[in-house]
Amino acid sequence: MLIHDLNLAFRSLRRNPVLSALMVGAIAVGIAASMIAITLYHARAGHPIPWKEDKLFAVTLDIRDDEPPQSFERHPEYPPFQLTYRDARALYPSDIPLHSVMMYRSGQVVTPDNRSIKPFSASTRVTTADFFTMFDVPFIYGGGWSRTEDDAPGAVVVLSKFMNEKLFGGVNSVGREVVLDGRSYRVVGVIAAWMPRPKYYDLNSWGGWEIPEEVFIPFGWGRALKLPAHGNTSCVSRTAKIDGMDSLYTQDCVWLQYWVEVRNRADRDRYQAFVDNYANEQRQHGRFPRKNNNRVVDVPTWLAMWDVVGDDSRMQLALGLVFFAVCVLNTLGLMLAKFLTAAPISGLRRALGARRVDIIRQHLIEVIVVGALGGAAGMALTFGGLASLKVLMFSGRLAHSSNPDRTALIQSFVHMDIPVMLAAVALSLLAGVLAGLYPAWRIGRLAPATFLKTQ
Amino acid sequence: MEIRALLSALWRNKTGPLLVAAQVALTLAVVVNVAYIVRQKLEDANKPTGLDLNNTFWIATEASTSDYNYPAAVKADLTYLNSLPGVVAASTINHVPQTFSNTDMPFAADPQTLLNPNGGIFGTLYFGTDELIDALGLKLVAGRNFAPTTVRPAAADWGAAMSAWAPEVIVTRVFANKLFPKGDALGKTVYTGLINKSAVIVGIVDQMRANPLPSQYDEFATQIVLLPIITPGPDGHYIVRAKPGRRDALMAEVDKNFADLQPGRFIERLEAFDRTAEDARQGYRASAIILGVATFFVVIVTVVGIVGLAAFSVASRTKQLGTRRAIGARKFHILRYFLVENWIITTGGVVLGCILALAAGVQLSGMYQIPRLPLYYLVGGVLMLWIVGLLAVLIPALRAASISPAVATRTV
Repeated sequence: MLIHDLNLAFRSLRRNPVLSALMVGAIAVGIAASMIAITLYHARAGHPIPWKEDKLFAVTLDIRDDEPPQSFERHPEYPPFQLTYRDARALYPSDIPLHSVMMYRSGQVVTPDNRSIKPFSASTRVTTADFFTMFDVPFIYGGGWSRTEDDAPGAVVVLSKFMNEKLFGGVNSVGREVVLDGRSYRVVGVIAAWMPRPKYYDLNSWGGWEIPEEVFIPFGWGRALKLPAHGNTSCVSRTAKIDGMDSLYTQDCVWLQYWVEVRNRADRDRYQAFVDNYANEQRQHGRFPRKNNNRVVDVPTWLAMWDVVGDDSRMQLALGLVFFAVCVLNTLGLMLAKFLTAAPISGLRRALGARRVDIIRQHLIEVIVVGALGGAAGMALTFGGLASLKVLMFSGRLAHSSNPDRTALIQSFVHMDIPVMLAAVALSLLAGVLAGLYPAWRIGRLAPATFLKTQ
Repeated sequence: MEIRALLSALWRNKTGPLLVAAQVALTLAVVVNVAYIVRQKLEDANKPTGLDLNNTFWIATEASTSDYNYPAAVKADLTYLNSLPGVVAASTINHVPQTFSNTDMPFAADPQTLLNPNGGIFGTLYFGTDELIDALGLKLVAGRNFAPTTVRPAAADWGAAMSAWAPEVIVTRVFANKLFPKGDALGKTVYTGLINKSAVIVGIVDQMRANPLPSQYDEFATQIVLLPIITPGPDGHYIVRAKPGRRDALMAEVDKNFADLQPGRFIERLEAFDRTAEDARQGYRASAIILGVATFFVVIVTVVGIVGLAAFSVASRTKQLGTRRAIGARKFHILRYFLVENWIITTGGVVLGCILALAAGVQLSGMYQIPRLPLYYLVGGVLMLWIVGLLAVLIPALRAASISPAVATRTV
């Protein structure tokens, strides 16, 4: 029966090759457009650490002066996304969280032991010790450092996988020395391949679409070596007096990322109360002139505040879906026309004893064949489209980098993963069914006699 | 004309026309809004920078040893670069323009303003030598360049550089007029918040757009303050402008020799300025192309829909059309019938499409913070769809018109 229907379907498609090609083409283009849009959106809308959703929270304090919002501020209600050194220090001793981290991104020059490699610059994360446990950073060799090495900073360093490969050929380098800005550090750990997308723990550069740092050193070095902050530094208070790197430690300038890991949501609430309480105390001393608007937010909220998905992705997604709708409408119209043109044949089949269900099923099979062909062609178009998009969107950034992590990050923007591929299959079937259900039903409903007559 | 007959025929077979009208509606909504956004993006990408991008390149150096003598090196570097044949001007610079990295400070004509809420106007700082304007290719329209004697040598660190500040500044015309709306900025003192410094405006440059920011932030890209300060080390940035046609050769020479002129440093990056600017715009261009191509395909698909429907309607009315021809209708009448029928369908779609387009436009203007969709975009879109619709229906309609009256006498 199914074979017979398939046979009929292919026969019918061959009878009108141009019309069939147009239908398949329309579905293919519709699928490709929506799949590309979904892929691009999906790559940006992911949750980087879902298993810690109830534990991991970014901390912000609304330290701003009580000024009316500037016209260009899109979300004047948001507090600054980073903390001042003074406030980070004040919150740090709290024992409500299991872990607390204050940190920032900087850069240093690496001088390899191997004289054949020239010195080069590397991105550095200057952080307190809990970073690695808090963000579930996987290690191949060794591990992080202890809190005691943060303040009187220990000369220890954690390397990224790529950095370890570059400096030590990928062998276990724990215990070896690395020279950063002319100072020697002992390797205590090497991170395995690790690429949170987005780089939620610090969204400052490229809106979070950046690779993790290449070296990690204890927080105390930041001040000891006056390592500059590579990220956004904003002196939020009108009374701040800027005078070089030292002002970052003494003035109301926000430049530190601050995160806590708590046991559960109840502890989050306790921590929120603790933070608000701190702000209240500070208000007594003339700081925090605004009403409390300190936010301790989970990762999805944090990503939404930063808008890591971005207008362009949303726009592309909307366009892709409208495109899909147009293609479905189009195929529906063509299918209807095609079925009605061939109605006399159905009439003949009905007259010869075929039931209404048979006619409907036969047409539905035809519709599904069109949907499947369109889906297959659409998939091919999607892969082609994504490959060209990669060049179109990222050739500039790709050309600059010899770092395989960055290449992988860019690849991930145009990568179609299994869920998206399944969505593509579902979408093409949906397209077929949406476009074919009505025409098949309509053709099945017609009385056979109508079509046995001439026009 | 047989409008009533046409309408009643349409009404009896309304599914197909309704589908086409719905496609037309969606297409109109997409086309006008995307056209508007794409234009916005291309405008953002193509705004003049005021910089001589094509003849300029930049060098970033980093120290590889802690005893790298930056102040001495920077002096020697500037002498070297400016002595190279083919160099117009070379200067240090704190941030390379077009890289989205900058330092901003609030400025005001009156120091009291800086103490008010939101007081002062943000200006982007560029530090360089008396060669800075020439190295960037900026046009001085009033006043003079920095006096060589005012150029501050490299300070120990940023704090020292900021507290030393500079006696004179050059600003862009836009910023000058914003600070001094009467247009008399030249020779006036301008005050800087956060660091409590002041300096005299000695020159005004025509235009400089530091970064290709989206249009709603454009003012921040053009409010610029240039200062005669050599950037503190140990990381160095140099901007070098070459005589036309000499840049690539100079870059090769710098790549070969520059790093080793001074011990203890290396070239972190050496890049043509137009390349930097192009990379900064890649996002705009890519998204304009993506949106444009997708919209083009939406239109194509709609055309296919119109052609398909018309072809079907012609095919299913062959006998009827033959009969009309047999009883006296001219080819022109048949052609006109199909054109009008299609026009009515398209118009139905267009009316619905206008509503959709405006609704989407409101949504988008909120999202992108751009002005509402101007109505002439809608008018343009409507005209385009009318024309596209008529063209799409032309081939099936011509085929209908050429049906021979003899067909009427045959059975199908």
